[in-house]
Amino acid sequence: MTQTCRIAGGLTDRERPLSFEWNGRRLGGFSGDTLASALLANGEHLVGRSFKYHRPRGIFSAGSEEPNALVQIGEGAVQEPNIPATTVELTGGITARSQNHRGSLRWDVMAVNDLLGPFLGAGFYYKTFMWPKSFWEKVYEPVIRAAAGLGSLSGLEDPGTYDHGFLHCDVLVVGAGPAGLSAAKIAARAGLRVILADEDFLPGGRLNAESFLVDGQAGAAWAAEQVAELESFDGVRFMRRTTVFGAFDHGIHGALEKRTLETDPAKPRQILWRIYAKRTILAAGATERSMVFAHNDRPGIMQAGAVRSYVNRYGVAPGVQVAVFTNNDDGLRTADDLRSKGLDVTAVLDARHGEIVADTFGRRRLTHIKLKDGRRIPADCLAVSGGWSPTVHLSCHQRGRPVWRDDIAGFVPGGDLPAGMVVCGAANGNVTLGAALESGAETAAAVASDLGKPVTVEMPEVEDEASAASAIFCFQNGGGRAWVDLQNDVTVKDLKIAQSEGFTAVEHMKRYTTLGMATDQGKTANVLGLAVMADLQGQTIAETGTTIFRPPYTPVSIGALAGRSRGAEFRPVRKTPSHTWAAENGAEFVEVGTWLRAQWYKRPGEKGWRDSVDREVRMTRASVGVCDVTTLGKIDIQGRDAATFLNRIYANPFLKVPVGKVRYGLMLREDGVAYDDGTTARLSETHFVMTTTTANAVTVFRNLEFARQCLWPDLDVHLNSVTDAWAQFAVAGPNARALLSRVVDDLDLSNEAFPFMACAECSVFGGTPARLFRISFSGELAYEIAVPSRYGNALMAALMEVGRDMDAIPYGTEALGVMRIEKGHAAGNEINGQTTAHMLGLGRMVSQTKDAIGNRLSQRADMIRDDDLRLMGFRPVDGRDALIAGAHFLAEGDAATMANDQGWMTSVAYSPSLGHAIGLGFLRRGAERIGERIIAHSPVRGGDILVEVCSPHHIDPEGERQRG
Amino acid sequence: MAEITLTPTPPLGGLSIEIGANRIVGRSDLALISVAIPTGAESTCAERLKVTYGLDLPEPTVSRHTGDWRIVSMTADQLMLIGLGDGMERLREVGATVGNAGYTTNQTDAWVCVEVSGPDTLSALERICPLDLAELSFPVDGTARTSMEHLGTLIIRLGRERFLLCSASSSAGSFAHAIETSYRNVV
Repeated sequence: MTQTCRIAGGLTDRERPLSFEWNGRRLGGFSGDTLASALLANGEHLVGRSFKYHRPRGIFSAGSEEPNALVQIGEGAVQEPNIPATTVELTGGITARSQNHRGSLRWDVMAVNDLLGPFLGAGFYYKTFMWPKSFWEKVYEPVIRAAAGLGSLSGLEDPGTYDHGFLHCDVLVVGAGPAGLSAAKIAARAGLRVILADEDFLPGGRLNAESFLVDGQAGAAWAAEQVAELESFDGVRFMRRTTVFGAFDHGIHGALEKRTLETDPAKPRQILWRIYAKRTILAAGATERSMVFAHNDRPGIMQAGAVRSYVNRYGVAPGVQVAVFTNNDDGLRTADDLRSKGLDVTAVLDARHGEIVADTFGRRRLTHIKLKDGRRIPADCLAVSGGWSPTVHLSCHQRGRPVWRDDIAGFVPGGDLPAGMVVCGAANGNVTLGAALESGAETAAAVASDLGKPVTVEMPEVEDEASAASAIFCFQNGGGRAWVDLQNDVTVKDLKIAQSEGFTAVEHMKRYTTLGMATDQGKTANVLGLAVMADLQGQTIAETGTTIFRPPYTPVSIGALAGRSRGAEFRPVRKTPSHTWAAENGAEFVEVGTWLRAQWYKRPGEKGWRDSVDREVRMTRASVGVCDVTTLGKIDIQGRDAATFLNRIYANPFLKVPVGKVRYGLMLREDGVAYDDGTTARLSETHFVMTTTTANAVTVFRNLEFARQCLWPDLDVHLNSVTDAWAQFAVAGPNARALLSRVVDDLDLSNEAFPFMACAECSVFGGTPARLFRISFSGELAYEIAVPSRYGNALMAALMEVGRDMDAIPYGTEALGVMRIEKGHAAGNEINGQTTAHMLGLGRMVSQTKDAIGNRLSQRADMIRDDDLRLMGFRPVDGRDALIAGAHFLAEGDAATMANDQGWMTSVAYSPSLGHAIGLGFLRRGAERIGERIIAHSPVRGGDILVEVCSPHHIDPEGERQRG
Repeated sequence: MAEITLTPTPPLGGLSIEIGANRIVGRSDLALISVAIPTGAESTCAERLKVTYGLDLPEPTVSRHTGDWRIVSMTADQLMLIGLGDGMERLREVGATVGNAGYTTNQTDAWVCVEVSGPDTLSALERICPLDLAELSFPVDGTARTSMEHLGTLIIRLGRERFLLCSASSSAGSFAHAIETSYRNVV
């Protein structure tokens, strides 16, 4: 815990020492440090290995643009790879380790790749692993994949939680540097609702890293003052540690808020915010570039601005002997700052004056540099400034293309910004402090005025610094590899290869070399790459053009994207009213969309699901069974024109359905294809209740609303979804009437008084309101009884209680499915969006005397062909055979080709009633082929089964039971 | 047969959670009655509701309340009356009030209502509610239909830090969990 490189000054809190672990060693830092500054304070300069060549790498920057110092944070299940040490706020007890090495960080076996560098240039894997062909999948790819990547996942479930959130504001200010603070203050004073977001934990941006004075005080102190004022406004929300990573349509922005490791572990680690902003002020600052010279990647070589950050903000000396190499005025200030802290500046080299670094030396840390004139200068740190690139990323997220400005030697946002976005400060090329402050304030004032809140601008006193820039970046003449993209190990040589192989467009060059495609998205590399390309092509950078950026600005973890949608909370769960009773009585549940339904009820001694399902079918058909069918869509339809409305919705007539009656209806799409069926009961002249299938409940309701509001707005019709309002139970079996007679109050259930397809509003158990429908999906004498859903659980229990002496049982969806296949009722497998009424055997239902949705187009010649597919029943010739849904029908002896395909099996089940398997399916000319034997061919699930074509109504084809 | 009386078990009945100084309460004591206004009967319906309950028809996004009824505009031609009591009884009452100037539907069991209140309520709702709940944008008595954690929701502002959240009753458990998690994430 010696912190030998700690120097006086800075903004860290020396009264709050912190301890952390780095590669198994305990080190010390202070509150206010980043992991990177703390490592440098402890003399740790080698912090990682490069992506491809495994070259030693050190800390290069002091921000989120860091390409080198990617580390693994945390341990066990709570760890995250590829985190820039420069963005990790130091907290007590933090554990970090270096990544991408085999063996220790100092002795990385994979460093052999560096020796093989001449063979590993851009595109080598496209060319190298061509032979033998069989080696690609078994040898080359596994080896390359094992070697690729940086950090690693724990493989354990992340115990942390993540959340989402929504925020709204008049103005979103992105970045709390001088321009952002200036803009936010003006917007706040104008009375606007402001969100100010910054990725750093300490607001101020470069004000914290430089030695500038603002209004006669240190820049950092001025920034703190501004923050205090901003936080005094009710309408201002200041979001530290929050990166606005994307600008999307309609003023919506994505932002990721990260909590520190000291946050209560029960609270979300990260929050993904969706921010709705009327206006956005992009004040994201600028990123310093490096320059291209031989071996410019050694630990100890870092951005000049980063050197100033470590010295001025963190009180850390990045080197004992520091050389400065710059192509602009800004870099020159580095030497002054270093000297003011008593550090030894061994050289100040201005590339504009021909003072060029030709090479560098030192394996694990820089030891000295060699100049173009041959001089060698000792340096354990080289502060490099290739000028500043405005952080234009968010301005590009809706295809905005930056434009080159010679005066600042950088790209600035073009005119095609996301709607509502304006750019200020260094992000817009106002690179000096005074210009940044002024542009921030004036931009905000213009925004405020635009939003109807004019405000007066007051500017602090600052002295503008020198800022002349140049676009000379490249000083590599074959004397050693020179890196352009440090994170993806892309060198000048790689760009030359791409150029020589014809990848001359920027987009091609990027993809061929992977320049700018790493986790840092080339923040420090892109302009250098363009400069090299421009040199190679003998043109300017402006002529070369640039790639643009897409979200996210910095990586967003999958956990944050998922938010709470994990495990049991992956999606909402809908429960039927009798769920509690079912769970207490042995139900196994199945997901049906978002519903949980009882699939079957297991009884003691039953060894598998078939035992339970077969019993439920047998007992229902023998006596009575009850099934919760609440999930069927239920739509309340009221109005003077409700009958007319339904008559236009259903393919079959509905105009004259009597009050107290139910009618089965088939709905067609506009194109005449069947899409849903169900029953609709008429409760009064103006009141109907429609049921839909479970799967199509929402679709049907939406279509009805469309028809009501858009197709026939003149009709007096009103809709309400009442699916959840009523608990509905099918009561089926020969004893259904007997059971319900004990339940329903004062209603004659005799066949004469309450025949098949009757309905009534009634009450049960002495006054609980109810609705009773005599309809049957099972083919048995059956009813559906509905009560307000809060009574559903009690009704299920009560039905079982009063039916105990008649062996009443509950049955689940499996038995429901078996009985409907036995009866030959079509369901989702048959009404699947590809089949017509004619194919379903319901062609005669389609009225020829009225207009209804889909009726006209359903009568097209090819949709009513007699030789088309028809819904039929199937049973195995050998009663021991099981049937397979999805099997295709072939004539015996025919090859399994598309030309010979005669249809397919849609639904199959074992029928306990018949003692063998049964199926439904579509067969070409099916109605003419009853008794014919064909092959049910299933190449996927194996085997050919000989089946006999039969009526789809496997039981009670005349419907005597349901009418009895 | 044995005398059986069905006992209601409304979803979230009895739900009452305190998190810090905040409360999450299941409001199973509320009746929700929708009134669809027949074409051409707008003024009659409005008059009858005014005479009987003293309620003016609300504009979209605003609810009105008097006595124990709160009235919310749900769509262009449909209102929701929310008040204390048994759904079926209040259905009959409202039906008698509007007569042929309104088609009534008992929606009490279609919805689950949760009242949330307390100083951290806005922060909690920020995590699940996409709407701007600043008082200027969404004042007291404001209403809106939105979605929270993928669940369709009717939100009504009852007070500065007090809201009624209504969603489908079948997913009541998920809804309550989403609300509770939001509070626990911010308190």
